[in-house]
This record gives sequence, C-alpha cells and structure tokens, in this order.
Amino acid sequence: MIRTFAALAAFAAVLPLSPAVAQGTLNLSCSVQVEWCQAVATSFQKSTGITVNMTQRGSGEALAQVRAEAQNPRTDVWFGGTGDPHLIAAEENLTVEYKSPNNAQLQAWAIRQYEISKGRSVGIYSGAIGFGFNKELLAKKNIPAPACWADILKPTYKGEIQIANPNSSGTAYVVIATLVQLMGEPKAFEYLAEMHKNVNAYARSGTGPIKAVARGETAVSLSFVHDAVTESNAGFPVGWATPCEGTGYEIGSMSIIKGARNMTQARRFYDWALTPEAQRLGFEAGGQLQMPSNKTAPLPPNAPDLSKMKLVEYDFVKYGQAAERRRLLAKWDAEIGSLPR
Amino acid sequence: MKRFDLTAVWWLAAALGFAVLPWHMAQEPLRLAEYFALVAADPDIASALAQAAFHGRPWFWPVAASLMAALPGIDARSPRAARARWLLAGGVAGLAAIVVQGWLVGVQGWRYPWLEEIFGVLDERQFGFGIGGTLAFAGCLLMASDGLALKGRFGGERFVSGAVAVLVASIAIFTVWPVLTLLSQIFTVPSDQTLLAATADRLFAPKIWTLACLTSRSNCGVAWNTLALALSTASLATLLGLAFALIVTRTGFRLKRPLRLLTVMPIITPPFVIGLGLILIFGRSGLVNQAASSWLGVELGRWIYGFNGVLLAQVFSFTPTAFLVLIGVVEGVSPTMEEATQTLRASEMRAFRTVTLPLMRPGLANAFLVVFIESIADFGNPVVLGGSFGVLSTEIFFAVVGAQADFGRSATLASILLVYALVAFFLQRRVVGRASYVSMSGKGDAGLPARLPPPVERAAFALALPWAALTVTVYALALAGGFVAVWGRDWTPTLSHFARAFSVDFGTGGIVWSGGAWNSFWTTIQLAGLAAPLTAGIGLLAAWVLARQRFAGRGALEFALMLSFCVPGTVIGVAYVLAYNVPPVEITGTAAILVACFVFRNMPVGVRSGLAAISQLDRSLDEASATLRASTGRTLARVVLPLLRPAIVTALVYSFVRAMTTVSAVIFLVSARHEMATVYIINRVINGDYGIAIAYSTVLIVLMMAAIGLIQLLVGRRRIGRRAAGGAHTLGARA
Amino acid sequence: MNTPTRKGAGVRLVDIVKRYGQVVAVKKLSLDIAPGTLVTLLGPSGCGKTTLLRMVAGLETPSEGRIEIGGFDVTSLSARERNVSMVFQSYALFPHMSVEENVAYGLVSSGLNKTDAAARARRALETVGLAGYGLRLPSEMSGGQQQRVAVARALVLEPDVLLFDEPLSNLDARLRRSMREEIRALQQSLGLTAIYVTHDQSEALAVSDRIVVMRAAEIAQAGTPAELYDAPRDVFVATFMGEANHVCATLESVSGERGRVALGEARIDLPHRDLVPGPVDLVIRPEAIDLEAGEGAGLPGRVSKATFMGSHVEYHVDTALGDLFAVVPRTRPLFPAGSVVSVVLDAKGAILVRP
Repeated sequence: MIRTFAALAAFAAVLPLSPAVAQGTLNLSCSVQVEWCQAVATSFQKSTGITVNMTQRGSGEALAQVRAEAQNPRTDVWFGGTGDPHLIAAEENLTVEYKSPNNAQLQAWAIRQYEISKGRSVGIYSGAIGFGFNKELLAKKNIPAPACWADILKPTYKGEIQIANPNSSGTAYVVIATLVQLMGEPKAFEYLAEMHKNVNAYARSGTGPIKAVARGETAVSLSFVHDAVTESNAGFPVGWATPCEGTGYEIGSMSIIKGARNMTQARRFYDWALTPEAQRLGFEAGGQLQMPSNKTAPLPPNAPDLSKMKLVEYDFVKYGQAAERRRLLAKWDAEIGSLPR
Repeated sequence: MKRFDLTAVWWLAAALGFAVLPWHMAQEPLRLAEYFALVAADPDIASALAQAAFHGRPWFWPVAASLMAALPGIDARSPRAARARWLLAGGVAGLAAIVVQGWLVGVQGWRYPWLEEIFGVLDERQFGFGIGGTLAFAGCLLMASDGLALKGRFGGERFVSGAVAVLVASIAIFTVWPVLTLLSQIFTVPSDQTLLAATADRLFAPKIWTLACLTSRSNCGVAWNTLALALSTASLATLLGLAFALIVTRTGFRLKRPLRLLTVMPIITPPFVIGLGLILIFGRSGLVNQAASSWLGVELGRWIYGFNGVLLAQVFSFTPTAFLVLIGVVEGVSPTMEEATQTLRASEMRAFRTVTLPLMRPGLANAFLVVFIESIADFGNPVVLGGSFGVLSTEIFFAVVGAQADFGRSATLASILLVYALVAFFLQRRVVGRASYVSMSGKGDAGLPARLPPPVERAAFALALPWAALTVTVYALALAGGFVAVWGRDWTPTLSHFARAFSVDFGTGGIVWSGGAWNSFWTTIQLAGLAAPLTAGIGLLAAWVLARQRFAGRGALEFALMLSFCVPGTVIGVAYVLAYNVPPVEITGTAAILVACFVFRNMPVGVRSGLAAISQLDRSLDEASATLRASTGRTLARVVLPLLRPAIVTALVYSFVRAMTTVSAVIFLVSARHEMATVYIINRVINGDYGIAIAYSTVLIVLMMAAIGLIQLLVGRRRIGRRAAGGAHTLGARA
Repeated sequence: MNTPTRKGAGVRLVDIVKRYGQVVAVKKLSLDIAPGTLVTLLGPSGCGKTTLLRMVAGLETPSEGRIEIGGFDVTSLSARERNVSMVFQSYALFPHMSVEENVAYGLVSSGLNKTDAAARARRALETVGLAGYGLRLPSEMSGGQQQRVAVARALVLEPDVLLFDEPLSNLDARLRRSMREEIRALQQSLGLTAIYVTHDQSEALAVSDRIVVMRAAEIAQAGTPAELYDAPRDVFVATFMGEANHVCATLESVSGERGRVALGEARIDLPHRDLVPGPVDLVIRPEAIDLEAGEGAGLPGRVSKATFMGSHVEYHVDTALGDLFAVVPRTRPLFPAGSVVSVVLDAKGAILVRP
C-alpha cells in the first residue's frame, strides 16, 4: 500500500517540468481571445527578451483576481477586456497611472478612456454592440435578419432572441446602457419589457447567446459583433449587423496593476502594446475584427469600422460608476428580470 | 521501554527548521548551498535564528524559547508526566509563537495599525513561511501531540494524537481559514450603504428567496432552485447508482464489466462535454428535435435549457459517484444475513425489503448526501444548460466575476450553500442513526450473495439499461467532435485537432513538444499524481480516526472535513486566493496551492467511502492487533488498509480524476507556470474551438482510464476467502 | 512453547472507575490478582465485566484509578505497550491473512524476524492441536478451530497476562467443555496469569482459581469456586453460582459457630455465618435434597414433575415451603410425578445468607 503511494508520487515527480529562468519577467493577465493573447506574449518576448507569463482570463475573473490579490499583487499588466472593469479597478485604486509616450498616436476614444480613468487605463481596441444571427435558421424559418433595434420587437422574432443577464454579463450591461442613452431611461425600459416577450433566455455569460446562435439553439443574439465573427470563423453560419438607430461600444482597455513587482517591464509592455505592430496581432493571430486604437494600425479587412457606424455618445464616466451600475441593475431586476416568461 | 523515540526527531526537525533552514519562502528558486541558512546576508532567505540574532528581527525569540522549553521532554528516560508537561507547554507555545509572529508581521510591516501605534513604524517585512517555518511548525505540532498522548489522552496512542493534530491543523489551515476569510466578506460595505442595510439587502434579496414560480411563470429564488435541483438529482442518482450496484453484484448479467465501465465514464469526463453532448441530442437543433420535426412535425423547442436539462446532466454526472459509494456497501452486506432471512421463511422480496435494503441504509444515506452536496456545488452543468435558470453556485460565480463584481453578495450566497450542506450533513447522521451495521467481522465464514428478487431485478434493469444506452449515445456524439472538422456542423473526419494540440517534432536537441496542449498536459498529470495519494492517504486516515477514536471535538472535525466539499469550487478558488496571497501562508501562483486545493476539496469523498467501509469492519480486529503489540501504524498498514482496498481504490481514483477534471476552483488558482488541462479546455470552449477541446478531452479520458487500471492493479483486491466474488462475511458478534 | 515460561505477572486494580458520560460502567472497584492464577469475571450482561477486562487490556482508559501489572503502573500505557494479550469473543482473526500469519502477527510486531516468527507460530499451532493448518484462511476453518487459532495467537506472545473475553460463547456445548479444559491446562502448564470473562457459571467453576462475581458495576463477591459455591454472601451470588432453592427462614438462636434455624415446623442446626437472630434466607442446593418414599421423618411433599437426565433425575416437589428443586442420583429409587415423598435435607448443602 505504502509502496503504491510512493510509486504514484515518484511517477509524478519525474515528469518534465522546468520553468526557464530569465533575467526579466512580466506577469500578464490577458482578457482577449486565446490566440491573440498567445501572439501578444510571444511577440513581446521575441522583441524584448523579457519572459512573459501569460494567463488568459475573462475580464470579470481578471478583476476578481486583481481585487483578491490587492495586498500582494502577482500580476503586472492586465491586457484587454471591456473598459468597465478596468474603470472599476481604477476607481478602487487597484491600478496605477502611467502616461505612455505612444498616447499621442491613439484614437480619441482610447484617450477618453485614459482621461476617465485618471490615467490608470487606456484603450487598445474597440468593438460595437450588434446583432448576431444564424443565417441557416433564419432562412429555414423565413425570417429576415434584424437590422434595427425596432426589428427586434416584431412578433416574428418571438422566442428567437437571446441576451445575457446584465447581472452577470458586462456585455448585456453595455446593451442596457446603450439603450438608455439612445432612448432615455423610461423608453429604454419600456423597450426592454417589450423585447422580453421575444427573449427565450437570459444567459449567464456574455458570450453564451452568440454560441447558442452558432449551434442553432436560438436565431438572434445581442452581442459584440466581433464575438459573432469568432463563431463565423470557427465554421458556423453566423452573420452580424449593427442597429441602424445607432449602437454602443466597448473600449477594450489595458492597465498596470498597483504594486506590480516588475514595473519596468510592465511599462515597456504597455508602450509596446500601443504600437501598430502589436495591434495588428488581434487580426493576424486571432482573426479578431475589433478596431485598433493606434491611428496608424490598419483596420482589419471587413472589420466593422466604428468610425463609419452610427454610435451613441457613450458616457463611460456615468455608466462606469459602481453606484449607477447598481441602480440600473436593480431596476432591471425589478422591472424586467421578474416578469413572467 | 525504548530509550529513544520519535519525539526527539520532532524536536530536531523543529530546531533544524528554526536554526538552519531558510525560514521564509524565497522569491527566487534557491541554490542548494542557500538551504544552509544559519548565516545569510539577505534576511529574507536566512534562518529564523539568524534573522533574530543578526538582522534585528526579535519576534523570533519566543519561538526559540519555546523550543528550549520542550527540550527536557524529549528524554525517554524521564517520567511520563514530566515529559508530557514539557512537551505540551513547549509545543503549544512554539505553535502560538510561530503563528502570532507570522500573522502580525506581514509584507508591509505591522499588519494592524494599532501595533504601529504601540511599537512605532516597522521598517521590516517578511514573506510567507518557507521550508524552515513549515518544518518548525510541524515539529512543534507533533511535540504537542506527543505530550497529549503521554498524558494519557487518545488512549496513550501517539500515532492517534499525532494524526488528529495533523488533521486538525491542516483542516484549519486549508479549509476553515480560507472559508472564514471569504465569509468575512459578507460584512464589506459598498461606500454608499450602511453595514446593516447592505447585509440585510444581501441576505433577504427576493432574487434568492422568492417563490414566484409557484404562482406565475417567472423564476423562483436561486435558493429554492438549488434545493429543488439538489433533492431531485440526489434521489435519482442514488436510485440509479443502486440499480447499477445491484446489477453488478447480484445478477448474472453478462455485460457487467462494460456496464461498470460505463458508470465510471461521466466521472472521468472533463466538464462541459456532457452538457454539450446533451445539447447535440436534445437541443433545439439536436438529433431528437430534428427527428421529431421532420417525422412527426412536432417542435419540441428548448426544454433542455433550465431545470430539466441541468437535472439530466447532473444525474449523468453524479450517478457514478453514488455508484462508487454504494458498490462497497452492497458488496459488504453479509450473505449470511440474507441466508438467515431465507431460513426464516421470508420471501426473496421480503428479505430484500426488510434486511438487505436496511443494511444498505448507511450507504444509501451517504450516497444521497454526497450527491446532494455535489449537486449544490456543481457549476459546469448549470452554466451550460441553465439558460435563465440560476442556482447558487452560478450566482456566486457571476457575483464575483460578472458585472456586479460583488464579493459580499457571493459570500452571502456561499453562506446559504453552507447552511444547506450543514442540514444535509445532520439529516444524514439522523438517518444512519446509531444502529450498527457491522457486517465483516473477525469470524470468518462464507456464504453466497443472494440473487435479487425478480421484480427488483427487472426494475433495476429497466432503470439502468436505457440510461446506459443514453450514456453511450451522448459520449459517441460528444467525442466524435474531436475527429470531425466542425463539431455539430461539418462532419468531415479529420485528425487536425489532435495534431494542433499534441504535435511532437524531432529537432536537433531531441523531442520538441510543439503542440499547444503539452505544457498543461504534463502539469496536470504531475499535480494530479501528487494530489491523489495525498488525498487518499489523508482521507482514509481521517476516516479511520473518526470511526475508531473517541475524543472531544470529533463531530466538529468530521464536519470540518466535509466543509470544503460543500463549498463550490469557485468559492474555494476565490477563498484560496484571498487567504494565501499574503503571508503567513503565501502560496498563490505556486503548484502547492493547486495541490492543496485538490487534496482538501476531494478528501471528503475519501473520508465518506472510508467511513462506510470501516463501519463494516469489526472493531475487535483493530483491538486484537493492538493487544498483539502492533503499533497503530502497523495495525493500519497490515490489518485495516488491506481490508479497505475497495475504499482505497475509490479514494485514489476519485481524487486523481477530480484533480484532472476540476475546473471551477482552479480557474482562479492557475498561473502561467502551472496551467491545468481543464482551464485550457474551457478557454477553447469559450472561444468556440470545440474540436481541440474535445480532442484534448478524449486524450484525458484515455489517460484517466489507464490510470484507473494502473491503480486497480497496484492496490489489488482484498483476499478474505469467499466462495463467490462480491460478497463478504457474516454478522458481528457484538452488534 | 514447550519450555516452561516465567510465571505471569500479578495484576492490581486500585479504585477503578469508568464512566461513559452519565453512565457508570464500573464503580470504584479494587482487585488483586496473584501471579499465575486464572481469575474469572462472572456476571450477567451489562455488569461491567467486559469493560473491566478491556481496561486491563488497555483498550479503554479508566476515568479514575490505577492499574498495575507486575508492580508497574500501566494506567496511561496503550494496549501495545502492555505485556498482555487477549482472545476476543468474535476471535478477531484477520480474514485476509493465513492462520500462520495470524499467529505470527504479534511476534513480528514485537520485532521478531519473519522466519523465527513463523517457526514459533507453527509450534504454537501444534500446541493447540492445529499442526498443518497454517496455510489456510480463517474462513476455511470450523468455529472450534478458529477459536484455537485465536488462543494460539494470544499464547505465542507469552504475555504477562492473558485475557479471555467470553472465548467460548460461539461454540457448541461439547466443544465448549473440551476447549475450557484445554485452556485451563495450557494456563496451568505455562504458569500464566489469566483473566477470563464469562456469564456461564459452570465454565467459571471449571477453569478458575478465583471467581469475581460482578453485579451492576460492582464486585458482588470474590473467592475460590468452592467458597463462592458453599459460602455465597447473598442470594444473588448463591443463585448465580448454580441452581439453588431459596426459602425464607428464621434464625432463632446462636451458640458458638452454629445456629438454630426454624424452617416451618422443622428445626435444623446450621453454621450461622455471623448472622444475628431474626429472619434470614436459606439457600438449599438441589443436590442436598434427598427424597424418601412415603411419609417419613422429613418434610412431607408431592412430586409435581420428574425429569430423567441420565446420570441423575430432576424433581420438582410441592411442599409447605413452596416448590423445591432436587437433583437426585440415578442410584436412588425413582419417583414418578404424583408420588408422595418425604424430603430430607443434607445440612452441608443448606446455607444461611443475609435476607
């Protein structure tokens, strides 16, 4: 018996596992698509010789980890993910200010994120909210693809719409905030209540609805359009559209963690991530169609060009605040979430 | 009496840890010479003695004083009472000194402002315990436990007192403390609310407690959802598990071995595979729906999302757990008892109902409890199939990682889960009661396990066989995804997914593991291989201590052992990060935190199956061994363990497999250097890259099957001389 | 095993108390056991005899008091640190080990190498008449054989004290008889100190040097078998030590060692055993009663039931004193039920006890 235990332990101990020791390291928490993350890590490592320890996490998980580790941070840089959690982190003093020399090359919306967060965060890409739909399923059911917010309320879409629950999904929160800014709060909630009749489920995670679309479990989802592109690239019959009345967007952001153990390397990465070379990787490695924040970085072919879209004046200051967020979510819970199916 | 005993070794270990080895965990890997840290220029890697003597860190002197106090106790020639006094005093003082200094002095000097007020600003820092601190702590702990044994506690058995001490300390450090750390988050307050209002808001939120689903078509509170789901899952899984266990042990069914394998399959399946497989069959565009709409013209819709689907998936996932708990018990029911009922003119049916089934009651209650708790803690199934249907575990996850980012809310929900687990635990104790179910005694005799009464046999087959068929279908469809271009859509066969994950190149320097999955693959095997024997060892030791020893606080220890099992993985993950990110125990980002997580999360199953098996072993076997001069360790190794082989296999297999398939807890604990297979797979699923995820899952399943086979081979079967395999013996004389 | 071993050690229990929560299993009990003797703890179930035995073994710790073996205080020592072995009621043979491994187990535990241990185990098995059975599993042996294995396993360690916990209760009557004789013979030839728990008085009488009768967590009386049988302290001990008729009587007067007892109309002369004149209980052993035909000098009575037992006949006789139970040798005349008889008492089998 003892021998058995010993044998198992010995077996486990001889397996190859040897971390490389380098002169400089960077601990990167990455909240974009895995291939993109990997490309970012390896390219940076190649160009600087700094060893990158990269962990891919959703932005919510990344924030949770940064918070939990606040007293003794393990992460140096947090790359990617919706702007809101980055703003929360800034609000909670979990990240530090840094002004990169490359800020001058950035789009105005990227600099806005920098200003709102008081220098603690910066935009690296941007993606818009839109409709994802299953082309085959729509054809089979003979339903037209939605093009405007108004289409979604039509009875033909009854039981075909899926959106995430804003309590658990940043994506869905952006949708609600967009509607509130587009229509005004009372109208927006009337709209949501009307749309509720067509919604078949409020999924738990933000990417859940677009996956349901890909598998033909639902016809239409409200998602980030670049997520729709991801599914389409994986071989599913997914199409996307942005609402004709205008739509909201996220600013994918980047922050340096307060108390980072490798501050020099973190800053080097920060600067590097804002260069066109780094920003090309989203499309080249990950096939992602977000708009890069560096003005000189090329827009991916077929990418939804934010500058050509009708966008709402998204007020990140107001809707990024914890209190406003809690108020809107409570209202959603009371007026929409509790409605009978 | 011997002149030298192990107590001296404990003292030396503590002294070595204190005076020679580096006290703190080094931030960079140490060279071999640096482990001799009696003198070291850098205080962070010096021994505690050196830090106190040369680096102006006087908070280590109390530890030294405690060790000196314990010194007279290690002389085996001294009178017992005097030794007991010195060891107990020195050991306890040493533990206190180590814990207090580690707690009060942290990475940024004093941990609390009031200390700064008393002693002034401390311009020093210390990191978490390293090898020195750990060794000193362990040495002091064992000296104190030896002291207790010498005082005559625990029947004078040092092994027992040492085992209890180690169990209590490790449970306190690795379960109770993190959970309390997390629960204390209930009392964190958002800036614009008062403590009372915020706590009340969280505790009595209608989203948790509403019963609206009874009166309208809206959702009920997550607390009720969880309860309804867990009760249904536990009942169904226990029933199915029993059916499988009965078929395997008590029928002449020819396909027993494949059936047995099948019941193990869901347990060795990485998360999400079952959920995705069910969607492929029962989903809106799934096989069943398509068949129904094309043949019958019926739209079955989306019934799989919500309660039904989660229940189905959970029953799939947890029937094997119930089976594994039940099989040992069903095997252990004495054939003589059943033979006795037949001689008492009972019909087969009456014998089954009045004797066999009641004898299995502890097993049934255990299975129900384990599945109930697994269900309330399950995360993977509700997140895939829940739709709008929320349960506590998913709410906890989304409360932490979602748009709310609210630790307080997640802690509140976690405390409700804990209450559920507590209630389940005490109910189970009531049900099993005090009745004795000693079924294997020291008096060897033989008998044949009774055949099942025909109606029961028919019912068992009627339940188990369709289920088995469904399982095969789900697996065939799900695993096919690894071998086709786009799963669920383009069924062109391909091996490209395997190539991307597991390609191997032969470069100039030998083999290059170029596939993307290799890194996480090796890490996973290594950590699971480390965790499994630890889990089984500690779990069975705990079971034996609980079953055979009587001491104050036994009930509390039993509950604490079950505690980490009751808490969903996500919560444990966050709790671990919160608790271990700062000194004194600073293991975030290391492999140790993952191993600790696996061990203490999975140990409860080892404890449960061990308890069920030990309750069937006649206590006089242990006692006979003790009166035959065998040390407690020898009794365990030569008598108890060989008779517990089925339980050992269960514990080893379960812990190995769980370490390889757990996802919710480890998501927070993985670091770039220690990535786990499941996290890699989940990231693929999140990105819609199902092919590579399933290819990887397939490899893991094959690997786990091989490991299970290896474990069975190494541990072997117990040999107690029976006429037919499966049954074991007769009534205990002292029932 | 053939070489005579040193004498076993004496055992002293001083003021032993054992409580389980509110329940008192042993009440402040003291007992001295001389080296080389076999002492039986006899009593009804639940009287605390097994608890006492387990405390001597080290399987339970006394709540109060002291246990000494061979003059050393062993109270806080664990079972394996005491030089005692035990034969369990259920035998507790390890089901996964062969007979020989079972017997050698304690020797190997004590540090003997495996070859020597196996050799001594074989000799021990020979001693109990099981030569050649070493490779079997316990489940392949009969109850009596398993019992011998259990005894061999305990004996082979040559313990200071050998403990028996109702070792024969799972055997049939004939086997029980021969086994108890074997146990007694082994104990005497090896000069072992032994403590033997049973609830069977005939077993106790047959094997013991001394018997300790226990009742409700206390010692009711201790003494040699003959003392307990012939001079029980009270009716409980008297009836527990064997069949006995129990009648009420009056001690009228005492002179010297003897006293005059009024038994209905009759007067008999018996040792007064330090009782004072007044109402007393009289215990009459059934073999002290003889029956004579017709209305003789004795107590008149009528046979209500006669049971032929081979070597003797058991009678129930209705008399003025109530129903009397008599055991009469076969050599005496037979009386069928209904016979009128005269009951004659042998004063040696009549004992006065405290009421």
